[in-house]
Amino acid sequence: MPEVPQNGGYMVAAYVVTAVILLVYAVSLYRRGNNP
Amino acid sequence: MREVLAQAWTVARKDLLLEFRTRTALLSAVVFTALVLTVFNFGRDPTAVATIDLAPSILWVTFTFAAMLALNRAFQLELENQALEGLLVSPLSRLSLYFGKLIANLAFVTIVEAVGLPLFVLFFDVPVGHVLLPLVGVIVLATVGFVAVGTLFSAMVIRTRFAELMLPVLLLPFLIPPLVGAVQVTARLLAGRPLSEAAGWLRLLAAYDIWFVFLSSVLFRFTVDE
Amino acid sequence: MSLAHKGRWITLSGLVLLGGVYVRALAFTPVERLQGPAQKIFYIHVPAAIWTEAAMILVGLAGIFFLFLKDQRLDRFAEASAEVGTVFATIVLTTGPIWGKPIWGTWWTWDARLTSTLFLFFLYVGYLLVRGAVRDPGLRARYAAVLGVCGMCLVPFIHLSVFMFRTLHPQPIILKPSAPSLPNSMLETWLLSLGVFTLLYVGLVTQRYALSLARETRENGGRDLA
Repeated sequence: MPEVPQNGGYMVAAYVVTAVILLVYAVSLYRRGNNP
Repeated sequence: MREVLAQAWTVARKDLLLEFRTRTALLSAVVFTALVLTVFNFGRDPTAVATIDLAPSILWVTFTFAAMLALNRAFQLELENQALEGLLVSPLSRLSLYFGKLIANLAFVTIVEAVGLPLFVLFFDVPVGHVLLPLVGVIVLATVGFVAVGTLFSAMVIRTRFAELMLPVLLLPFLIPPLVGAVQVTARLLAGRPLSEAAGWLRLLAAYDIWFVFLSSVLFRFTVDE
Repeated sequence: MSLAHKGRWITLSGLVLLGGVYVRALAFTPVERLQGPAQKIFYIHVPAAIWTEAAMILVGLAGIFFLFLKDQRLDRFAEASAEVGTVFATIVLTTGPIWGKPIWGTWWTWDARLTSTLFLFFLYVGYLLVRGAVRDPGLRARYAAVLGVCGMCLVPFIHLSVFMFRTLHPQPIILKPSAPSLPNSMLETWLLSLGVFTLLYVGLVTQRYALSLARETRENGGRDLA
């Protein structure tokens, strides 16, 4: 049985990047809404 | 229908007459094409990759640049003397205006390509004699694709800031399907493959042309009217 | 509750539920044997890609209806959908290479999904640039609509070109990240993620729409627009 590749780091990186992009955008919309 | 064609031809003739009187734009485009081909020669290592492998890409990148250059000047003429307003209040239908511009642009780009192709054959020693007719066919198909959308967009960017930069930025994604098709068919032609192998790509080119000429002609009036 | 508030609440719920999806994907979904943990990027990457494309189609549809109905709300919606679509495209274009590196050994592969999303990204950027480059609001809305319609119509041609191109250069079939034959637990996680991305799209578009509305109301001296 071949070893399961140890690439968890990439998984974490992708999940973090996605969360950051979404949070930054959501916050920017919120702030643009408050300071027109 | 005949009315539209007649009007379109009037518009096209005016543009082409203007172009031939000054000839500067045409000359610049031709010189530009020659220069790009020259750059490509120095940008490669002939011992590493055979010319014939790169040839289709070189030809089509050159033609794409040439087409964009041609389209850039498309509405400049009108803008210069506010001739565009004059055209719009005339009884010309928007459809005729679009087709007139399309014909004029096609003529312009075709002339540049007609000079570019022999130069390409010369510079890169690519034998095209035996496939000249189908090659010309592909060139026409792809050019129509480039110019159909390009004519529409050049009408739009005229009234934007950074018009010269805006046109390539907007247009490039739309040039990819005809470009891919053209390169694939050209590659097969130059490799001596039967045309039937490229049938799928030719259909892509034809479908793209038909659809985007139709769409651009219909949308054109929204770019010039209030 | 104002539109902006509704939007914020929807977005907030979406973000919280995204956290839930994260937990489920990372801790409660089995690891794929051949690809390892990196395969789980799939649960984020694919739903984001689906909404990137859906958002473009909606921009195009809003554009068609705007050109005929001239309803300002359609233009506001298109603007919002384009901006959110760009954000989702960014997610796809960053998670894609992060997934590709451990699996394919290279940061970028011209696979169908990444290539199409790249084109969508270029279309979105062009759309937003046009909006930024036109001063007059009426002209801006019309130009954006024309571009949106063209962009939407380009999408099938991009898919076709990429598909035909790829059948020439098949990629190794060892790993099939998007194989529909997912075991149930994985399918559920994926569907959950799709639902969350849908919610996020709705929330973010609502917020962005409210922003345009507020801006226009201010510019018109507080007259009620909705």
